[in-house]
Parts: sequence; structure tokens; C-alpha cells
Amino acid sequence: MKLSIYRYDPETGDPPRMQAYDVQPEAGDKKLLDLLMRLRVQDDSLSFRRSCREGVCGSDAMNINGRNGLACLTALDGLKEPIVLRPLPGFPVIRDLIVDMTQFFAHYHSIQPWLINDQPLPERERLQSPTERERLDGLYECILCACCSAFCPSYWWNPDKFIGPSGLLQAYRFIADSRDTATAERLDFLDDVYRLYRCRTIMNCTEVCPKGLSPSHAIERIRLALLRRSS
Amino acid sequence: MDRPPPRLPVFLNLAAIRFPIGAIASIAHRVAGVLLFIALPIVALLLDASLRSEAGFAAVRDLLSSPFRVVTAALLSWALVHHVLAGVRHLLMDVGVGSELARARTSARLVLVAAPALALLLLVWGLT
Amino acid sequence: MRLFDGQRAWVVQRISALLLLVLIVFGVLALPFASPLDFSGWRAFAGGVLGGPLIALLFGALCAHAWVGMRDIVLDYIQPRGLRLAVLSLIAVVLLGVLVRVLLSLATVGLAA
Repeated sequence: MKLSIYRYDPETGDPPRMQAYDVQPEAGDKKLLDLLMRLRVQDDSLSFRRSCREGVCGSDAMNINGRNGLACLTALDGLKEPIVLRPLPGFPVIRDLIVDMTQFFAHYHSIQPWLINDQPLPERERLQSPTERERLDGLYECILCACCSAFCPSYWWNPDKFIGPSGLLQAYRFIADSRDTATAERLDFLDDVYRLYRCRTIMNCTEVCPKGLSPSHAIERIRLALLRRSS
Repeated sequence: MDRPPPRLPVFLNLAAIRFPIGAIASIAHRVAGVLLFIALPIVALLLDASLRSEAGFAAVRDLLSSPFRVVTAALLSWALVHHVLAGVRHLLMDVGVGSELARARTSARLVLVAAPALALLLLVWGLT
Repeated sequence: MRLFDGQRAWVVQRISALLLLVLIVFGVLALPFASPLDFSGWRAFAGGVLGGPLIALLFGALCAHAWVGMRDIVLDYIQPRGLRLAVLSLIAVVLLGVLVRVLLSLATVGLAA
């Protein structure tokens, strides 16, 4: 199969270029990552992140034929050739398909992604009813791969100020949690022209989420929660 | 906030990115909005002229007198219709109506197709 | 008031949108009943107790809506502070100019009526 891959080597300092590859998939090669692993045997200078190879670690996110996705979940069947691979759009490129996620994780940390509860600790665990637990479905599954934020134009234009779809989905995951008592503070933090309100609901995030989650829906719920609070 | 080390390249070639239908409806919404913003002062001046004198009123009534003006009116009709339809779509999605991906795709496609059609109708009505 | 407010701007955008939608729908519905307009009829409408406020409301909502929308575009695409401030000022001047022009026009016909 033919591929065209974005190459950048910080040691030479040469501008990025596209490099053509041709690699034969072998029996059992189903996903794009399988092909990339074969490629690495052919050219060991080619750099990309990968770990679990089954859509849980979120490290092999990249731009595949113009859309963000995980190489390990992208089926080779139906991919148009040459398969064009580029690093996540809008993220600083460290080498080839490896991007700098520093800012992305800084946004994640900014929403305080942990349970805040000022009540005294119960003797055993804090219980949730099945209904309360269900509210976290579609939120807790996020693997922080950055496919969504790197496909969001609002995040491209203001990557330092807009929290981005991934961080906002995580923010809503804690707002929606019945065990968390910091909802008011969380909403205060989000009520900002940049942090939340850069979203224009174009739904690029939901389009590319490899876990089938809907950050745009979480953002919609945050805006409604803010509206309910101030009315 | 931590800034990445300086001078790292960034891939952001918009022509190499495959935009979903929702993004296309959205950028059209934005372009239409800008067109309407540009038209706003002109409309205010037309309103003033139409109220000022008999001759001014006649001039505004017979505005679509040259091909250039008809084309401009066609463009602005599209801008108005698209902006209104896409706006209604967003207002509904704000309260959770059609904000699920499959429905949002359908409504985006609908808006993109309906806007030029309705704009044409509007223009024909304006010409007669 | 903060110039770049979060929720308030979003609410202004949505409420002005709803208002404009209502005005447009009623305008379209009223069209078949409107008598063929001549100059004096148009002046009487715009200077009347119904038409004047309606037109003022229309342009007020248009300007508020345009401000939030154009401001969002500037916040997205124009990053240098100086240029951003200049463009935002220009937009504000245009919109205020539109509002003043319309109110003056309406006042003139209103007084003449």
C-alpha cells in the first residue's frame, strides 16, 4: 500500500516534508497501526507514538487522510491511497508524527479533573444511585488522545486560552458527578469568553472522537447549566 | 500556561484537512454574517433615503436596476437565508434538539441546500 | 462591564437572534396584508406608533447581534492586541453609526407626522 507521511527532523532543522512509502501488508494486518509497524522495519527513523494498540492509551492519534483518528482503530480496508499521514493539526511537532501535548494537558489540569467534596468522609465509599452513575456515561470514557481538540478550529485559533472539547468534556464529567460538591466553582471558572465560549458547535470534535463520545453535547450541557444558574 | 519550545513546526494546512459537513455549514454561517454586517450600513442609508423624499423612495423601490445590483442582491439574499436557517439550527441545538451527530449532519446538509433555493425564490419575488 | 464577557455575550447573541427571528416571521406573514406601498404610506408607517418602534427594535437587535458575532470573529482570527483593538473599534463605530442614523431618520418622520 502507498503512503505519504509528514517528516520532520529537529536535528537537521530542515522544514517538514512529505515522504512517499510503499509497504506490503501481510496476513492479519487489519489496522493502520499494523502497517506503520511494518514501515518502521523498513525505515527505523520514522517516529510515532503507540502503546496499547487497541484504542485505550490514546497515544497514536494522528491526521489520517485529512481527519484525526487513532491509527490502531483505523481499518486499512476503505482507506484511500496514498494514505496521507500528518501530525495532529495545530499542535507543535516534535518529530514526524509526534506532537507536543504540553498545552493540551495544561488545559486538562486547569479544570481540576478530580472529585472535590467538602463533606466529611463517610465510613465507607460515597455511594451513587444507578441513575447518578448513568450520568457519567459518555463522559468518563475519554482517553485524552486529543483527536477532538486538534480538529477544532476554535482550538487552533486560541490554543492557549480555549480549553478545547476534550478538556470541556472532562469538566462536565465532574460537574455531572453527584459526589462532587464544587459545581459552582467549576461553572465560575468556565464562564469565560475564551475558556468555554469559543465553541461554535460545529461538532468537529464529535465527528472524530475514536471512542464515539460527544464533547459538543457536554459543552451544550455546561452552557445550559450556566444559564439555569443565572436565571 | 506553558508554551512549547520556540520554532517547532505546526501542521495547519486547511486545504489538507477534510472538514465535516457541520464545519462547512458553520463557516458559511460566518461568511454570511460578515456579508450582512457589510450590508447593514447600506441598508440604514437606504432606509433613510426611502423616508426622505419621493424621489429617494422611488430610487430604493427600483433598486434592482442593474445586473451588478441583482448579483449583489442574490448574494445578500443567500447570506440572509443561510444565516437565519443556520441560526435556527443552532438555537434548537442549544436546547438539545438535533444536537446528536447524525441529526446535526442532516440538518447541516439541509441548510446548505435550502438556503440557495430559498434565496433564489426571494430574489425572484424581489424582481417582480 | 467586561468587554469580553462570557455568558452575557452568548445570551445577548441568542436573545437578539430570537427577537430577529420573530420580527422576520411576522414581517413575512404581514406581507400579503400590506397595501402596495407608496411614499406617503411608507412614511406614515415608519413615523407611526407601531412602525417606528418596530423598525428601531429591528435595528437595535441587528446591531447587538452583529456586535457579538463580529467580536467573535475578531477574537478568533486577529491575535495582535493593537490590530484587534483597532478592528473592534471600527466595528463599534460602524454599528453605532447605523443605530444613530436609523433613529434620526425615524425621529424626523415621527416629528413630521
